[in-house]
Amino acid sequence: MLTSFLRVALGARIIIGYNACAMKKLPKEASPKSAPLVVFQDVTKCYADGFTCLDAVSFTIDRGEFVFLVGRSGAGKSSIVKLLIREQNPSSGSITFDGVDIATIPHQELHHMRRRIGVVFQDFKILPSKTVFDNVAIALEVTDAPQNQIQEVVTNVLTLVGLLEKLHSFPAELSGGELQRVVIARALAHEPDLLVADEPTGNIDPAASAQILEVFEKINKMGVAVLMATHDDRVVDKLKKRVIRLDNGRIVSDVQEGKYA
Amino acid sequence: MPKLLIKALQNANKEKLFTAANLVVMTLTFLVFGLFVLIEVLAQTALSKLEKEAAVTVFFKDDYAESQILVLKSTMEQDKRVYTVNYVSKEAAFSLFKELNKNEPLLLESVTASVLPASLEVKAKNVAMLSTLSDEYAKLEGVEGVKFFKDIIDRFSFWRTILSIGVGLVLAILVFVSFSIVVSTVRTAISLRGIEYEILKLVGATDEFVKKPLIYQGVLYGGVAAFIAGLVYALVIVGLLLSGALSSLGISDFILMAGLALPAWVFALGLIVLLTLCGVLLGYVSSTSAVKKYLNY
Repeated sequence: MLTSFLRVALGARIIIGYNACAMKKLPKEASPKSAPLVVFQDVTKCYADGFTCLDAVSFTIDRGEFVFLVGRSGAGKSSIVKLLIREQNPSSGSITFDGVDIATIPHQELHHMRRRIGVVFQDFKILPSKTVFDNVAIALEVTDAPQNQIQEVVTNVLTLVGLLEKLHSFPAELSGGELQRVVIARALAHEPDLLVADEPTGNIDPAASAQILEVFEKINKMGVAVLMATHDDRVVDKLKKRVIRLDNGRIVSDVQEGKYA
Repeated sequence: MPKLLIKALQNANKEKLFTAANLVVMTLTFLVFGLFVLIEVLAQTALSKLEKEAAVTVFFKDDYAESQILVLKSTMEQDKRVYTVNYVSKEAAFSLFKELNKNEPLLLESVTASVLPASLEVKAKNVAMLSTLSDEYAKLEGVEGVKFFKDIIDRFSFWRTILSIGVGLVLAILVFVSFSIVVSTVRTAISLRGIEYEILKLVGATDEFVKKPLIYQGVLYGGVAAFIAGLVYALVIVGLLLSGALSSLGISDFILMAGLALPAWVFALGLIVLLTLCGVLLGYVSSTSAVKKYLNY
């Protein structure tokens, strides 16, 4: 998807889909194309202190879909993100990614799934001592990709997010919006099927937020599913995509072309 | 693997102070370890030499005829516990006495061959047998007295044990200190790179990619430090060999525990290999423990 888009968009040969090993245990498009990419089935998450942050949550995300997850702080948005990348495990229920119940993936095989889900956090999670190039390249270094491929892929994803001219800059020299775009570029390096963003515009100004949103929209048009947890009403209202609203750990509404309010 | 090894080297280079502290303490540990091995091997070599020299000397009464002594010698030679039996006649003993006291003419004038007793010098196949043989020979007819080096060997063994225990205790303490230092270095490295590990997890790094550089880092510290210590001892041994100090001590080969004799240079090389392997093992165990305990990946 992304590969073909970039080939057309950038007029250049790009090698992103080389991470064949990532598909070994969790084959890409293992389930039929019509099947949902993500399925949350009666997922409940309780913490040791008895607090229930998610209560029997069920929803699906189709391939190439754009979904907003909205709700007040503590509604359970971040918990869904953490469960989806198996940072945490559900107390009950099941989460399926591309037909595979992620709870059944052995710990040592989890990286296959994580390479198919790009993640963007509000707090950037970026290495201050590394350049923009190195911060993106790290996603490819973990796959043992050859240097020439890393160079090519990093250049292309940075072009996609509009940061090619900042290739050799350090994070301290970038604005909040630019930092977030570096993180998006890093998340795209593996050519993910799903891009998960937890409050990606939470730390940046409205103008930068608009730019970030454009990048997400562009990525989604390339066929990458996007799940964005946010409480930024301008972002939600602008795109008019599907909106899942959470309140006290429960889904209270799920509307196509919804609005924040 | 080379990539991860390079990463481990880069990590060690980033934490120069920790690297230096690790190398100093671990080199010290392996210098003590080398000393421990050297003491054991030198003691074994000396003991083996002593045991070869050790013999029961059976002195006979003047009225016990030489023919009777020779019969007894034949009987002793039949004993499976006995290695060799050497007869020293009164005349031979006097010749030896004269040789030993050639600078004391007054003493030589007062002594004649008849004063010195004839004797049999019995070497046992196993030095532990000397005591039993001594007791048995003391009861034989015509025997005036029996002497052997039991005291010397016992005393030597005693001090060797004391020394080994002392050095062993220091070694145990240093091994513990080295272990702790590697663990804290890896722990600090993990804390300093907390955000990096979070990112690596997000981008799908394998366990191996994250853990191996940390483990290699410990292995590098241990291996390099132990190699340095081994090299120091090898140079000392080769120096002693070239200066002739070893031959003046009567040491031609180093005798190991199993009775295996090794030329000095082979022993020196073996010591480098032994220490380096132990260093690698200590580094591996320490860093693996730290990774298991502190890396939440």
